[in-house]
Amino acid sequence: MIAVEHAALQFIDLQTGDVLALLAIGFVGGLVSGFIGSGGAFVLTPAMMSLGVAGVVAVASNMCHKFPKAMVGAYRRYKFGHVDIKLGLVMAASATVGVWVGADIQQEIKANFGEAGSNLYVSLAFVIVLAIVGGFVLRDAIKVYRSGDTDAQDKTSRLARWVQSVEIPGTMMHFKTANIRVSALFTLPLGFATGLLAATIAVGGFIGVPGMMYVLGAPGLIASATELVIAFVMGFGGTIKYALHGLVDIRLALILLAGSLFGIQLGAIGTTFVKPFMIKVVMAAIMLIVALSRGLVVPVYLAQLGQMDLAPQTMAWLQTASLATLVLALCTGGFIIIGAMLRGYRAQGTPAAREAVTE
Amino acid sequence: MILGEKLREEGVERPKPYRQLVVSGIVSGALYLLLYLYSAEIMTSFTRTDGWYPALPVIAAFAFSFAHGAFTAYFWDVLGVTGKHKK
Repeated sequence: MIAVEHAALQFIDLQTGDVLALLAIGFVGGLVSGFIGSGGAFVLTPAMMSLGVAGVVAVASNMCHKFPKAMVGAYRRYKFGHVDIKLGLVMAASATVGVWVGADIQQEIKANFGEAGSNLYVSLAFVIVLAIVGGFVLRDAIKVYRSGDTDAQDKTSRLARWVQSVEIPGTMMHFKTANIRVSALFTLPLGFATGLLAATIAVGGFIGVPGMMYVLGAPGLIASATELVIAFVMGFGGTIKYALHGLVDIRLALILLAGSLFGIQLGAIGTTFVKPFMIKVVMAAIMLIVALSRGLVVPVYLAQLGQMDLAPQTMAWLQTASLATLVLALCTGGFIIIGAMLRGYRAQGTPAAREAVTE
Repeated sequence: MILGEKLREEGVERPKPYRQLVVSGIVSGALYLLLYLYSAEIMTSFTRTDGWYPALPVIAAFAFSFAHGAFTAYFWDVLGVTGKHKK
């Protein structure tokens, strides 16, 4: 069966302005991904939705741009010694199952509740997950800041210490780069949840990175880099799944890729110049602002589903406010990362100065 | 030596990869030009769900990421923006 006509209805006409917007958000999204391991996508899905792309097509196209981007980023950070490939692949195995289940749920919701239902589901998942995890990461970042020792390497959380102490014969695995030894029974549900979230909002890393940090006890730098391996594997699987339904808008994916490959290289370079604590600050700031942005449009989708009365003016206002908040999240992330990079760069001296020293 | 990343050894003078930047830039630019010129045809075949058509988006994503990924890596390299290598 050829579902071209059916699928073609869901794709938007691209104007020059749209292309420029995609390039710009792709760049900043890539910058954030290279830095915190994920997260470019959480800006991209809502941004595409703001351009009029259906929720499920936005997620599908996002995934298709994400896996090659993650591959490039993972390769870069592997060179910096940040990637635990074994941990990444073990997490990715169960994450792939999560992605397929999550994509099925998306299909079901779209079939039963239409596009507004699908948009509402994606937005609600954003708000709930980002508010909870973002709040948790922020609390931790504040704790580190208050302790006055922001130069310190990450401390292992109490939960991670317990997880590492549990010995289940036959399931124990040692992850060398992350320097942890845990039972595979802990990585399985964590990976599954990462994949499930990835298929829903295209950003599994919001569970994956904090999960590896706070549940398994991996350092932030290693967790954020390893997430790129997981993102690659599940993005690859997810793209195939969505492509089988003809939902990938390849133009969107490749235009995003054009900007984000510049960003991800820069973000990866940035991680070598900052304190581990900065990764948490950037993650928390962006997650919470995006949660707010998506929260603003929940009433709009509720109104479209006939669950709420809302004046057209109010709906338009809420959508504009949501987009503005999103831009704020993007800029905040970009500014913090580039600012932190410049400070780190200055502390190290310029590349020319460093080369002079090595000579 | 994929993606333009070169292993750096301490103290070794490294010429900037201008030639690689230009070559990868041309390849990447050509791919995007094709996407622009044939977008209607591409969208029609890339959203087909029969046979091997669903593999097309994946193949395209790989091809673009290799070409454009190499270009962006050389781009930052030529600008002198490189990472601090940690052990």
